[in-house]
Amino acid sequence: MALNVKVGLIGVLDMLKFKNMAKVREQAIQAAPAKEIKGEFAINNNAKLLHPDHQKLVVSEIIDHPGAGAKTFVFKSAEGKPLAYFRAGQYLSLKLQIGESFVTRPYSISSSPQWTLEGKVAITVRTNPGGFVADWLLENLKVGDGVIASGGEGQFYYEGLRDAKNVVALAGGSGITPFLSMAYAIRDGIEDFNLTIIFGSRTEENILFREELDAICAACDKVKVVHVLSDEEKEGFEHGFITAELIQKYAKDPYSVFICGPEAMYRFVSGEIDKLGLPGKNVRREMLGVTKKVWEQEGYPAECKDKTFKLTIRQGPNEYVVDASANEPILVAIERAGVAAPSRCRSGECGWCRSKLVSGQYFTPAENEGRRHSDVVNDYIHPCCTFALSDMVIEVPGEYLK
Amino acid sequence: MAKYDVVVVGAGNAGLSAAIQTAMAGKKVLLIEQHNLPGGCATSFRRGRFEIEPSLHELCDVGPLDNPGDVRNIMDLYGIKVDWVRVPDCFRVITKGSDGQKLDVTMPSTIEAFIDQMEVEVPGSRPKMVELFELFQEVLDGIAYISASAGHADSNVLKEKYPNMLRTGAYCTQKVFDALKLPKKCQDILSTYWSYLGVDMEHLAFIHYAAMVHKYVSRGAYIPTYTSHEISVAMTERIRELGGDIWFNCRAEEFLFDGDRCCGVKTNLGQVDCDYVLANINPDIIYGKMMPKDLVPEREKKLSAARDGRYGGRMITAYFCLNKTAEELGIKDYSIFLQGTADSAQEYKDIMGGIETNDYSIFLCYNVANPKASPEGTCICSFTSMGSPKDWDNLSQQDYVALKNRFVEKFLKSLKEKAGIDIAPYIEEMSVASPWTFARYLGTPEGAVYGHETADWDGMMARMMMLDPDYPIKGLRPIGAAGPRGDGYSAAYLCGQLMARLALKDLSEEGGNQ
Repeated sequence: MALNVKVGLIGVLDMLKFKNMAKVREQAIQAAPAKEIKGEFAINNNAKLLHPDHQKLVVSEIIDHPGAGAKTFVFKSAEGKPLAYFRAGQYLSLKLQIGESFVTRPYSISSSPQWTLEGKVAITVRTNPGGFVADWLLENLKVGDGVIASGGEGQFYYEGLRDAKNVVALAGGSGITPFLSMAYAIRDGIEDFNLTIIFGSRTEENILFREELDAICAACDKVKVVHVLSDEEKEGFEHGFITAELIQKYAKDPYSVFICGPEAMYRFVSGEIDKLGLPGKNVRREMLGVTKKVWEQEGYPAECKDKTFKLTIRQGPNEYVVDASANEPILVAIERAGVAAPSRCRSGECGWCRSKLVSGQYFTPAENEGRRHSDVVNDYIHPCCTFALSDMVIEVPGEYLK
Repeated sequence: MAKYDVVVVGAGNAGLSAAIQTAMAGKKVLLIEQHNLPGGCATSFRRGRFEIEPSLHELCDVGPLDNPGDVRNIMDLYGIKVDWVRVPDCFRVITKGSDGQKLDVTMPSTIEAFIDQMEVEVPGSRPKMVELFELFQEVLDGIAYISASAGHADSNVLKEKYPNMLRTGAYCTQKVFDALKLPKKCQDILSTYWSYLGVDMEHLAFIHYAAMVHKYVSRGAYIPTYTSHEISVAMTERIRELGGDIWFNCRAEEFLFDGDRCCGVKTNLGQVDCDYVLANINPDIIYGKMMPKDLVPEREKKLSAARDGRYGGRMITAYFCLNKTAEELGIKDYSIFLQGTADSAQEYKDIMGGIETNDYSIFLCYNVANPKASPEGTCICSFTSMGSPKDWDNLSQQDYVALKNRFVEKFLKSLKEKAGIDIAPYIEEMSVASPWTFARYLGTPEGAVYGHETADWDGMMARMMMLDPDYPIKGLRPIGAAGPRGDGYSAAYLCGQLMARLALKDLSEEGGNQ
């Protein structure tokens, strides 16, 4: 029997109802008032506040750390706006115009998340002889100067559902900054976990944030700090490097290890952590940067070292042709050319600089490979960790600067 | 200054589709996207050693090679290859049935198997279920006919070929179920998919529901092997092949007009002139802040007011990358609908009541369908629920993470209690997306992913019947989830295609008039 479904009593009326759907809809529309459409929504504005295109900041205070060769720059909003909140351990990506260059640098936030609610946020910059940006900031950035920064970025933060309740933080030099922020967050009741910071410095005098860390430890028993001095043997300090034995000495089971420090410390400590046999989920690393010696990476074609290639950069309707050193990520060449292209983590992870490779050969260190599967297959690159092996043509995303 | 025939604003699913369709017609096309990735929802993100699917649960419209659905067909037409994998079953649902008892049912795909299983669950239901699927088929065919006629269907053809569709098409799903005298337990099980359309059974047009369920059951569901980013990137590469340009991190700030005709777009990368704009943007945002106020038609203001901010689907999704396999964790189902109640109208109210009353989530384990979803020895799972403006409108930044984690705790508890699965100890990576997250990445009103609710008078069919009056701006058509096809990946691909075709028609008619 043919299907004969009726909803109302009379099928023809149901059909009419169908035919009238447009009419009914039009009646509903016409019955409504012709109000201005607002186009603004609370949820979207909240999202914008937490994840702004950028924040216009101004230096409100500079704190000197002479022994450590570092300065803390405290910023406030240049426009009197609320600051983006962040999770302790996250970084700000600064966008800076230095000479002809337009560069970004990620700096872990060294202040408590609580501060942003009071309109303040701080980063700490340590001298980096031979580096481009850190020493420029230390010498040039003055109170009242403006900078452009991202909101809090990155995944280097404590997540209670994922991480062990005890966190052993391995810090080297200025790598202390995300842990200082975490320590403040614990003290301020924003985070709740046990943080043992094993902090490597060269000498006692070199220790960054010694007093601040001491004060937090005194005020909050969830935070402990173990100082490890590489160049001095002193009473009350561990001596040498951060080894597996040292970690085991201070870690309470079960624990997660968080690592942040310069490349040499990072490589040494990674080897030590392997000896601990921890599951991968218990080891978290903050990598802000790529190797300085790409030619030492496995698989790098040695003949390309020291060469210079031609890099064609397309951005929207514009095109720039610049030189790119094989020894540096092509992001550096883009920045030297003064092209304002996006980048944040500068270690391959965040994908903010994701660009289309139109032509050319490149090398990406395995430890910086953070691309999506289909991006690798379809020639998308992260310029922050892409090294030219030939002339290249790329399309970079636009940037939001206004 | 750049000049193109067509500018597509927004590389979401509809935008990608529209850009390919217009480029295939020989137009010089520019696709601009405010993020550095294509796809909108159809993307992926990396955490540690994992690549995570942010939104797609399953596509009902791919189908096997010998019974292709709209998505497989459209991708073939566009010349795009996607590595699809089939989802094994339709769904498992754990809920409280209308008899007050716990209901835990797993429904397989293919119509025969689905009806067989329903007979096991609800003895004697077979004749009604056979009748229901016949009706679904007629509805599906009828919609295809109406879509093909682009707003000008012949009523005689409709009456002759699709009388049952015409008789049921103006009703909500609940009314039709009742008219068919479907056993209550059948209804409980059949209502499971309601949240995929974001409208409960008492407000969801039967025609919309019927088309979707028929597709899921008859063709089975599919997902791409390498997340929906695989589809979106394949589409961008096709646009490039066809001579189109794509500018990422390029935001349309304002539409430019010559008299009452849209003639370009102002962006952060400069002004772009064009003959036509297809904007993958909710009309409320276009009319609200992207064009001159005096050019916004009265009827569009009324339409917006009549919709009264009922945006569909403010999602909360928690993603978990686990350091154990699905087998090790005892996860056998691809999708488990963990509902508070089979009464969808009540569930919808509970969801809109916010976190205190929301007891809804869909648990997925991608590896059950796709062994390549994550590295060996691991699996990726997610929970999806819907949010209420009540929770997310007035939330402060500093309370944001805590609210997300309260949802996560509810999800984990619900899975453990209802399905006996505990994933908490094995979390290697996790992330939680909220309506704020979707607002950030999509820019949709309230972060809603389903456009305007396709409820009551504003259902899919009524919108399809009004394609002319709903698009009054010369040279500018909004496309996407807020369009006539409603929400979902396949709806968006089809909407992009349809609007591109209508734009091409507009352009050729104008060309003829010159």
